[in-house]
Amino acid sequence: MSVGRRSSATERLSVLVAVLSVPAFTGMWELVARSGIVNTVLFPPPSTVAVAVLEWIRSGQFFADLMASLARVAAGFAIGAAGGIVLGILTGRFRLVSSLLSPLFHILRPIPPIAFVPIVILWFGLSETGKLFLVVWGVFFTVWLATHIGVQKVDHGLIRAAQMLGTPQSQMLWEIVLLGALPYITVGLRTAVSISFYTLVAAELAGAFAGIVYRIEIAQQNMQTGQVMGGLAALGLLSFVADRSFAILAERAVWWR
Amino acid sequence: MTPRLLRPDQPLRLVDTYPPSAAARQAIIRVEDLSIVFDAPSGQVIAVDRVSLAVAQGEFVSIVGPSGCGKSTLLNAMAGLERPFGGQVLMAGEAMRKPRPEIGMVFQQPHLFPWKSVRRNIAHGPRALGKPKAEALRIADGLIEMIGLTRFASAYPHTLSGGMQQRVAIARALANQPSVLLMDEPFGALDAQTRAVMQDNLLELRERINATIVFVTHDIDEAILLSDRVLIMSAGPGRILRDLQVSLPRPRSSAIVAEAAYLALKRDCLDLIRSEGRRAFEQMEIKT
Ligand SMILES: Nc1ncnc2c1ncn2[C@@H]1O[C@H](COP(=O)(O)OP(=O)(O)O)[C@@H](O)[C@H]1O
Ligand SMILES: [Mg+2]
Repeated sequence: MSVGRRSSATERLSVLVAVLSVPAFTGMWELVARSGIVNTVLFPPPSTVAVAVLEWIRSGQFFADLMASLARVAAGFAIGAAGGIVLGILTGRFRLVSSLLSPLFHILRPIPPIAFVPIVILWFGLSETGKLFLVVWGVFFTVWLATHIGVQKVDHGLIRAAQMLGTPQSQMLWEIVLLGALPYITVGLRTAVSISFYTLVAAELAGAFAGIVYRIEIAQQNMQTGQVMGGLAALGLLSFVADRSFAILAERAVWWR
Repeated sequence: MTPRLLRPDQPLRLVDTYPPSAAARQAIIRVEDLSIVFDAPSGQVIAVDRVSLAVAQGEFVSIVGPSGCGKSTLLNAMAGLERPFGGQVLMAGEAMRKPRPEIGMVFQQPHLFPWKSVRRNIAHGPRALGKPKAEALRIADGLIEMIGLTRFASAYPHTLSGGMQQRVAIARALANQPSVLLMDEPFGALDAQTRAVMQDNLLELRERINATIVFVTHDIDEAILLSDRVLIMSAGPGRILRDLQVSLPRPRSSAIVAEAAYLALKRDCLDLIRSEGRRAFEQMEIKT
């Protein structure tokens, strides 16, 4: 009994601490910044950051930046994921396709997508195509590998059962194999969500005309540190929301569990 | 094989084989000199060694033998899932090269599609063969009723017990109305009680459908209870050791195992296996 009461008290305390954690740190940051110990130009208090963010939103630029970044991530993710799934199914299922493509993919995959920025600028200049290319590149290999492995782990008994029932080849690929590999594919897709944000940063730093990371870079050039931090917070929040919603989506995707 | 044909003491007489005997004429399954070899890391493994057998239309034949003697491989070859190394499998006179929907298969594990409800699992075959959705579901509903799972029609496989899953697997195989049903130790993974119920179900089912059934098991009791004929396979390279007729009256139920005629037959089987070799017999005892 006493053990139970003590543990529930501990639990309540830890919930309280968790709730207060962020406000406490923000408050401390505010105090330290205002105390004059640090340079407020480089290390502005949260209130300055909040003002910068509000101004960003009020000017309408925030929405434009958000849309520009979101469009790049969403389009890049969709194209890269679709390509990765389709080719992963084909290389996972057909030896010949795998012999043709897998060696190439295994050579290209370990190169960090960010390292492609210079050549992407040469190829595409500062166009949207170049940014899309970087995000697609990052997403594709992750999803391809997860799908390729997932296809090989599909229960062989399921495939034989489907064969015995007269399942045509196309249904075999896009139903039995795809759904059989889905638990692996969703893991790959979730990793790819974070990768798409990494590559977005590289793509926008390489030169853009709108976007959250672009805004951070412009603010840095103008020494608007509050805006820089606001941008970082916005990017973190966006990436967090994307990851969480994808996790929820992925749980629903494997609906039969 | 040519040497036999050329044997001087037995002149070639076509009249012996033509017209074929009644049993041979009705044979829907013919396995002719079938050999299957696997490439294993330790070299080639002969899983099935020159097996020949015939199964008549409507017959229930069991294949019995110790684990690893090649029963599954033989059955998979009949299903078109395994390529012959030598010889051939003829189903209704046609060589099996790949699976055909008129040959149904039930595996030791149910292998149900986990993303489909019971109803959709059973409707899969008719849908795959291009039947309209409504018709496929109607077929499924009929079979669900037959296997007594009406309450579970929209349940997903993982929510069902092993016995229920295997009933769904049987219904799914029957949905394409196969002329031949191949069953590979379908009750092997079930507990003894469920297995007895499933055996009675299968006996009952057999009275209703007119499919030819080939049933693989390592359980002699099960084989005798269910079959018209029991083929006993030897361990080592898989061969058919003996072909036993089971002339016990039908309808049968699992209560038959206490009858004298049954026990005599079982003793025959066990004697046969014992004489075949210690190793095979011991494996058999462990399993049954
Ligand atoms: N895919 C395979 N690759 C290599 N060897 C196999 C394969 N399948 C079966 N075998 C071997 O063939 C033999 C017969 O196997 P199997 O037909 O599964 O026996 P049973 O069903 O009677 O237990 C065994 O020795 C087994 O190890
Ligand atoms: Mg087996």
